[in-house]
Amino acid sequence: MTQQDDEMAAEGTEVDEVERASDVWVFLEEHAGDVMPVAWELLTEGRRLADDLGEDLVALAIGEDLEDVATEALARGADRVLVADDPVFEPYRADPYGTQFREMVERRHPSIVLIGGTHTGRDFAGRVAVPAHAGLTADVTELDVDEDGQLLARRPAFGGNVLATIVCPEHRPQMATVRAGVFEAADPDPDELATLRATDDSIADNDRIEPVEVFIDEVDTISEVLVRDVTERADVTDADRLVAVGGGVEGDLGPAIELAEALDADLAASRKAVDEGWIEGARQVGQTGKTVRPDLYVALGISGAIQHVEGMNDAGTVIAINDDPNAPIFDHADYGIVGDLFEVVPQLTALLEGDEEV
Amino acid sequence: MTSPNAEGWTVVVGVKQVPDSDEVRIDPDTGRLDRANAPAVLNGPDRDALEAALSIRDAVGGTVTAITMGPPTATAVLEEAVAMGCDDAALVTDRAFAGSDTWPTSYALAMAAKHLNADVVVCGEETTDSSTGQVPPGIAAHNGWAQLTYVEDVEPLPEENRLAARRDVEGGHERVAADLPVVVAVAYGEFDARPAGLHRKIFAENDFEPDQLTAEDLSIDPGDVGMDASPTQVGGMDTVEPVERKNEILEDVADLLEPIAATAEVDG
Ligand SMILES: Cc1cc2nc3c(=O)[nH]c(=O)nc-3n(C[C@H](O)[C@H](O)[C@H](O)COP(=O)(O)OP(=O)(O)OC[C@H]3O[C@@H](n4cnc5c(N)ncnc54)[C@H](O)[C@@H]3O)c2cc1C
Ligand SMILES: Cc1cc2nc3c(=O)[nH]c(=O)nc-3n(C[C@H](O)[C@H](O)[C@H](O)COP(=O)(O)OP(=O)(O)OC[C@H]3O[C@@H](n4cnc5c(N)ncnc54)[C@H](O)[C@@H]3O)c2cc1C
Repeated sequence: MTQQDDEMAAEGTEVDEVERASDVWVFLEEHAGDVMPVAWELLTEGRRLADDLGEDLVALAIGEDLEDVATEALARGADRVLVADDPVFEPYRADPYGTQFREMVERRHPSIVLIGGTHTGRDFAGRVAVPAHAGLTADVTELDVDEDGQLLARRPAFGGNVLATIVCPEHRPQMATVRAGVFEAADPDPDELATLRATDDSIADNDRIEPVEVFIDEVDTISEVLVRDVTERADVTDADRLVAVGGGVEGDLGPAIELAEALDADLAASRKAVDEGWIEGARQVGQTGKTVRPDLYVALGISGAIQHVEGMNDAGTVIAINDDPNAPIFDHADYGIVGDLFEVVPQLTALLEGDEEV
Repeated sequence: MTSPNAEGWTVVVGVKQVPDSDEVRIDPDTGRLDRANAPAVLNGPDRDALEAALSIRDAVGGTVTAITMGPPTATAVLEEAVAMGCDDAALVTDRAFAGSDTWPTSYALAMAAKHLNADVVVCGEETTDSSTGQVPPGIAAHNGWAQLTYVEDVEPLPEENRLAARRDVEGGHERVAADLPVVVAVAYGEFDARPAGLHRKIFAENDFEPDQLTAEDLSIDPGDVGMDASPTQVGGMDTVEPVERKNEILEDVADLLEPIAATAEVDG
């Protein structure tokens, strides 16, 4: 073959790859039967994209004992569910998940694959994209398709100063990890859920749920989970009111907890407070945490680094309490109090408790 | 399984030069992102990676080699790595690498890690410029190696030829052991980087020259890297307008009650 032939052949396969691909896939991240909220968010968003494209929305479940997860995905809008059910997938490990997912992608040629941008999603997505030579866009916050059916995945970069649009013109699938809390999950259809759950052997009977071949054997794995210690997961993404703590609280959450009680608010945190071990990571707001949209966000001893602000930009009213008048958080707040939080916060709590209207 | 290495482990640490994120500014005249004028610095999360890599050497012996893929000016971050205590450093550089997305970037780094006979590759959680976090899993995937991401501490197990790590996972933690060779991406802020020693610093700045590794040195076909081998393209970049806020500084705490009450009304 001449070089030109070579190039034409290569181009030919690329066109085929793009044309052959169809369907929107959403990964249903679950751990021991507990589905991550971002998976349902993606199912809602994936439904919209699939309808725009006139393609099917396919949900993917990998794990053990997935009946309930699969039926709930149907009630939440999936056209079909692919289920890879095997003990090798519980608990999660990058190598078995990556191998399984990759085999499914390479055999079935989805056009779009959406994965929650959790630590788990971002851990294994590359193990699918690299061998499949798929485009993988990281940490996406906006999704659309253009008139040619190409995915436009928008993502913050340079610490949140820029929103970049990433496209993948010549390779399929178009994969993306999507930030948690950005999209809203629609509720499942209660009638459909009830009907689906009514039959005991729904998986076996339901032709919209397809068990798939398992492509990995335990002896071929190269990692081993020694201990997994997961407590209840807080979800701050739906909270109406949040009191967020930062480095300024110096490990003393007392005043913040009392204020949160007076406001009927949940607790959130900056990464600094999480890294110091003062509060659990599920409450972290920002680039590598959650995107929140409460009506009220009270930032206590938080400097206002761009990576934090990115996660609280959708909040209604922002109040900041910080003893440094030059702290950037004041630029991102509606109301600010310059002062020591250990003095200001108890005052505010006392006022709130005496104030019936709030 | 390869036999346990009596000479200690060969640790490779990936570092990247990025525009200083504190200095990346929106140009007030053009409204565009000005990153050309921001000084180039070592990616902050890579300090954690360097510390983790050096701590593995402290525990089991062996060597730590820093690698960066970038233009010759990226040598500066290798000098910093050597000043901190890395034994050696290599610049992965070739015009063929220009315009690479994470697929070819992780391919070139994977080939460099193989070339250096790495037992462990340590990386940062993500960069402060394009922050995909995809390069470490990409290196592992290209080589078919194990990977551990969001790692908060590392425990080498030389007798088993494995490395155990504590990983941060949603709602908690897990302890995972992986076979060597393994790629480790450490969580930002979890490893306190040691200061550079004065003598090491003088050596790094005056006498140290990194090895250069080109595509040919790494047996990489130029068609497998660079823009053409990159499945993703940056289609456009928009600067993000800051959200409008009232920016009122209040003297009296009691003045907060009204705006707080208003949020309750909005909610009904
Ligand atoms: C790749 C990457 C991703 C990141 N992702 C995130 C993220 O998702 N979320 C996030 O939050 N950060 C993130 N960060 C970290 C971010 O850059 C900041 O380091 C972090 O947000 C700082 O937290 P802080 O403001 O709470 O703490 P500090 O920087 O320690 O600030 C403490 C603030 O409290 C004030 N203070 C101190 N004492 C008092 C007092 N007694 N009363 C009142 N005020 C007081 C100080 O003036 C200061 O402003 C990320 C960084 C990187 C590099
Ligand atoms: C605005 C913008 C958005 C982009 N979005 C995407 C995208 O969504 N998907 C995509 O595939 N590509 C994307 N790219 C391309 C991508 O930035 C480059 O491939 C980049 O060289 C590597 O990605 P990263 O900086 O995100 O590394 P990360 O994966 O975030 O880096 C993690 C760690 O890997 C190591 N590492 C990373 N790069 C190097 C290096 N050059 N040398 C040595 N060690 C290294 C470091 O230890 C680092 O801490 C984007 C580029 C831009 C400008």
